[in-house]
Amino acid sequence: MAAAMAVRALRALPHIRIPALPASCSLHTTPPRLKTRAARVRVGKGDKAVTYEKAHPPHYIAHRKGWLSLHTGNLDGERCAAQRAVEDSFVRRFLHGTFPGCLADEAVLKRRSNSLLVCLLLLRRLPPSKLCFLLGYAETLLSHLYKCPVRIEAQTVPDAAVYKYL
Amino acid sequence: MANKINKLNSISDFFSLSLPILLLFQKETNHFRCSAKLALPLCRREISHAAALPKMAAACWVLSGSSRWPALARCCWRAEVAAYFSTPAASSREAQQREVSTRRRGRMSQLIRSHIPPRTERMAVDQDWSSVYPTAAAFKPASVPLPIRMGYPVKGGVPPPKEGNLELIKIPNFLHLTPPAIKKHCAALRDFCTEWPSALDGDEKCEQHFPVEIETVDYVSAGTSIRNPKARIVTLRVKLSNLNLDDHAKKKLIKLVGKRYCKDTDVLTIITDRCPLRRQNYDYGIHLLTVLYHESWKTEAWESEKTEEDMEEYIWENSSSQKNALDTLLQIKATENVSNVTKEELLASEVVRNYRNSVIALKNEGETESNMSQYKESVKKLLNIQALP
Repeated sequence: MAAAMAVRALRALPHIRIPALPASCSLHTTPPRLKTRAARVRVGKGDKAVTYEKAHPPHYIAHRKGWLSLHTGNLDGERCAAQRAVEDSFVRRFLHGTFPGCLADEAVLKRRSNSLLVCLLLLRRLPPSKLCFLLGYAETLLSHLYKCPVRIEAQTVPDAAVYKYL
Repeated sequence: MANKINKLNSISDFFSLSLPILLLFQKETNHFRCSAKLALPLCRREISHAAALPKMAAACWVLSGSSRWPALARCCWRAEVAAYFSTPAASSREAQQREVSTRRRGRMSQLIRSHIPPRTERMAVDQDWSSVYPTAAAFKPASVPLPIRMGYPVKGGVPPPKEGNLELIKIPNFLHLTPPAIKKHCAALRDFCTEWPSALDGDEKCEQHFPVEIETVDYVSAGTSIRNPKARIVTLRVKLSNLNLDDHAKKKLIKLVGKRYCKDTDVLTIITDRCPLRRQNYDYGIHLLTVLYHESWKTEAWESEKTEEDMEEYIWENSSSQKNALDTLLQIKATENVSNVTKEELLASEVVRNYRNSVIALKNEGETESNMSQYKESVKKLLNIQALP
């Protein structure tokens, strides 16, 4: 695929003669780009403010970063790790939609026996009455969905803590 | 006529500016509502282009300067400023919208600006910490009066501070389990505890009164399900010395249970997990123990067919070693022409008894220094060859 794109790119330039190649060939005219891009903020001009969470790529987990979700499912001999993972991803999407533009950083999910504790860092974008309503709404809806007590501990910050500029 | 027109113009100017103000205060004071409603129909008929702005402003100010409604005065001033700095409004509706937006922005800025200081600034040094963190909770930087920093520092910098620090929130903390808090927990739990029975003051007493030990495991995990299939396993442990078994019953029981008996500790361990519930596994374990006990006391007809290979320990009587020893001794006696020595006499003699004990020790306990030397001595005595070292 890279080769085909390269050939097409070369064809665009009129003064370069290219050999007649079959549709898919193994000719590499450009070096392959094999960089991992998972959870990495690419370095820019130095104007991008980045939090501690975003600044560290995933190989720093357990070295410089902790875990955003704590439960016993991933311990040896324990069950239901996949169910916890699915619940986590749903809760994060739900929170992202319920508090639009107000999340300063990722939500931290902690499970203590049956209950789910959601720790949120919120920006002060909404008036307190609206915020209280949304918190209660989220708690009630999540506890009804998952049939377990859900508690949200929210902290408000004036703005997201900047770790560095990339 | 000209005068009248002039007058009308001035009135229209006035109303075009005061209309938004009046409409604004519809919400704030009921009193004003009726006057606003009055003003509306008047104004709609007049589409006036702005005359000199300061003139309008002055008119407004004069009206509200001596007013009893300071809010009206404030708003008038704001409207005047807005009108002065903005393009002259062709219609009153634009001014009205601008007015409403400035009011909303003003309220929001008030919300953002006035935020109470963190609780840490009002905390006494000798406060009751268990009331700040009564239960397990996430780290709250505004409630913990410690200057904590956490995180990998930027190059040439320091670790990030605690405000908005997600790393501090991620980790589990034990701020709710300080020693005074634990003391309070213990004091509260004491009412539900009973004393340990004074008669059971040692392991031997416990074993004597409760010889059968039942072990079950409860599994706690974080999740919506409390079920764990490993929780149904029940382990039963009992020492055979506590059971009423004679020699035959003990040997039969050990043969029946096989690997579940440990010879060093004399403990029989039964682990049951074939039933789905713990209660059922416990009942099955007790049933197994009962059946084993009763069966080991019975003697079946086919047990008489027990051969030498089935024996658990070496028995010298009727063994090849006994036969060989007796034959050798009889032959010795025959050559010495001592007759009429019966087997019973030989068996009862001391040299044969020594030989028997040493052979039994060797076979049952294995080869040790003392066993080998004992055997050597007994053989020397038996064959009467003391001269050799």
